[in-house]
Amino acid sequence: MLLPAFLKSRQARDMDLFLHSLYLAEEPVVLAGYTSLIDLPQTIVMLRQLALNADDAGKPLFDRDSGVGTPLREPGEQEVLDALAAGDALICSESGDRWLRLVPVGRTLSRALESPTTENVLRGAISAFNEDLDTNVGLVKKHMSSDMLRIRSYTLGLSQRRKTVLLYAEGKIREPLLRSIVQKLETLPDRDISDLQALSAFFGFSKWSPITRFNTSELPQEAAFALEHGKAVLLLDRFPFALVLPSLLSDMFVSQNDRNFPVIIMFSFRILRILGVLVNVLLPGLYVALVSVNPEVLRIEIALSIAGSREGVPYPSLVETLLLLLVLELTLESAIRLPKTIGPTITMVGGIILGQAVVQAKLVSNVLIIILAASTIANFTVIGFQNATALRLYKYLLLVLSAMFGVLGLFIGIVVICAYFSYGNTFGIPYLSRWKAGRRYG
Amino acid sequence: MKNNVSRWLFLAFMLTGAAALSGCWDIKDINHRSLPIVMGVKETAGTYQVLLLIPDASPSQTNVKIISQTGSTINEILDQIDKNMENKVDLLHLKVILFERSVAEKGLSQSIESFMRSRDISNKTLTAISEGALEPLFEKLKSSSSNGGMEIYDFFEKNAGWSPEVVQTRIWEVFRSMNSFTRDVVIPTIKPGHTTTIESTGAAMIKNGKMVGVIDSEETLLYNLFKGAGTQGKIEVMHRATVKIVADRLTRSSVMREGSAMMIGRLHLKVTVLETVGDPTVAEIKKEIDEQLSTRLQAMLRTAQSKEADILGLGQLYRDKLSRENLRQWRSKYYPFMKIEFKVHVIVQDGGLLKIKS
Repeated sequence: MLLPAFLKSRQARDMDLFLHSLYLAEEPVVLAGYTSLIDLPQTIVMLRQLALNADDAGKPLFDRDSGVGTPLREPGEQEVLDALAAGDALICSESGDRWLRLVPVGRTLSRALESPTTENVLRGAISAFNEDLDTNVGLVKKHMSSDMLRIRSYTLGLSQRRKTVLLYAEGKIREPLLRSIVQKLETLPDRDISDLQALSAFFGFSKWSPITRFNTSELPQEAAFALEHGKAVLLLDRFPFALVLPSLLSDMFVSQNDRNFPVIIMFSFRILRILGVLVNVLLPGLYVALVSVNPEVLRIEIALSIAGSREGVPYPSLVETLLLLLVLELTLESAIRLPKTIGPTITMVGGIILGQAVVQAKLVSNVLIIILAASTIANFTVIGFQNATALRLYKYLLLVLSAMFGVLGLFIGIVVICAYFSYGNTFGIPYLSRWKAGRRYG
Repeated sequence: MKNNVSRWLFLAFMLTGAAALSGCWDIKDINHRSLPIVMGVKETAGTYQVLLLIPDASPSQTNVKIISQTGSTINEILDQIDKNMENKVDLLHLKVILFERSVAEKGLSQSIESFMRSRDISNKTLTAISEGALEPLFEKLKSSSSNGGMEIYDFFEKNAGWSPEVVQTRIWEVFRSMNSFTRDVVIPTIKPGHTTTIESTGAAMIKNGKMVGVIDSEETLLYNLFKGAGTQGKIEVMHRATVKIVADRLTRSSVMREGSAMMIGRLHLKVTVLETVGDPTVAEIKKEIDEQLSTRLQAMLRTAQSKEADILGLGQLYRDKLSRENLRQWRSKYYPFMKIEFKVHVIVQDGGLLKIKS
């Protein structure tokens, strides 16, 4: 078998594959690897030193205990390619019959530790996960220096091999939960896990459900907290978030970071977040219900002032609300896409043009502007962007029901949403359950 | 797969059903409704006339308009008004219903029943009787309105301009008195004021929905005390001092003795002295309050008894002592001859910021 020839032909297709001839311990060898993943000069320096050491100890280079690398015995083409794709370097003798796989000096392809970009921390550890899996595992280990921490590694996917690490605390995690996660991870997926949708489908979660089954967090201390409380954490390579299983309703309101404040302040934060959710979900529907269907609920003073502010508005309140909500959603969506340098522009455009001019043009009433502004602000009191986006959706259900059935419809909508929440579960753990380490569920 | 399709079909069916059956196209937005605050009812020669005080919804909202219409029934009139108005007349926010005195004297039964029957008028709408004609009062309300005609509502509203000399009577209470053997009601009487918008003149005694007499403001305060609705009211002690009631509590016990009703009432008042004439002692003030309130109550009761109008609802206390047949005759057989032993127990809490002789 002439493997170097095979590698040479491969070189024509992979421009970053290098085959470097050199002498190690007075023996001609070929070093192979990807330049995009391996720092070549540094690796050669390291190799020379290792070969010298092996020579001094009187060990042959390709021996198992030479300390240079792991010998491969008669490797196949696929094995060689897998080793190269994983970022390792290979040493091959001139004749091509002896192989050595070794860990080279790699290139730095991850950013340094930074502060989180989607969650802010006021009081607590500020470093966040990044794209490098080992760094992330290290961060969690730093935050949870306990001998109970167990780390299992899996490689998922068909053509793309994605490294996945499952972390849990031995003795704290609920056994059935661990068993079902491990069972799932050990069955080979028949497709690539390129995103959370694919992972969700792999775990068998419902495709259409707006309830997120993974509570994502960028903060190592949140992951460590979850581990200590008996939850499981999944880390994916090149994904700078920890996925905490199971996800519960309380994750919307409870953050580990709260515990860095006095208890009374912690509880007031949580109450504030619950109020925020209620305001966000209920207010637009309540406005439509009270203005169109049940104005008798309002006090007469407010009724008159709203009636006055709506004088000359051409559309019914549902259309009015939907119009402005659409503009708001567009603003939110575009704010994500905008480069940071022109971010303030959208604030100005949204604030001045939409706020003031829309009222003056009598397209919507100014009470509605207040309501929707309050609702949108309240949307982001919730912890986790994935929860905030789900809430944005529920509000439309309530809006439509309110437009049809008034306050009654609003309450029907709340009941429907509550029923839906109580139906949701992750590996048999109900979405509405109150998490307590060591408690039995299901 | 088939199951999935049928599920989607079911969902689509539910959605179209909800949309089609909701009737939401009949919903009128708040700016397309007229929300009258006051309704006035008068009667001339067998035909009713209804006046509505409607705030004009505009961003500045200072305008008020008066709409009036005549007809044989109140609902016919409202229908006429609705037909001619550019907005839908919505009585959901009706706050006060004003009757002209002549209507009240003839009897309110028909109109109160129609208000109770209707779905849009709230049962807790306040009632009032206008001493004079309705038009001057409505003109006064309109001309002095700076807040969309809310003045008369604020006048009766407990967290706004209400004072203990004014009674709050809701239409359900009037309706109750029309159908009860043992309870009548008073309705506040008002007229346009000289400098203020409204002037309170006391209250009208209503028996079975018919006005039978009047009580003045002082007696109205006592009525409110008896109902447990009046605290913080001012009360004058005739010659010696002025005191303010800080807290009040009434205990009542009723007995039937030899076929006649007898009641013992104890009113416990906590007062604070506001003003003294001369140098009265606490004991003197206590005695004067007791004497004055007792005589006033006895006088009010006598007037009411002579009209057979049980405005204090004393018959309620004999519900468990009389048979239903006897209760039917409460107003005629027992109430006029009822005796009440009334004593006021006063605690002078303090003499204001000054000392007072004990």
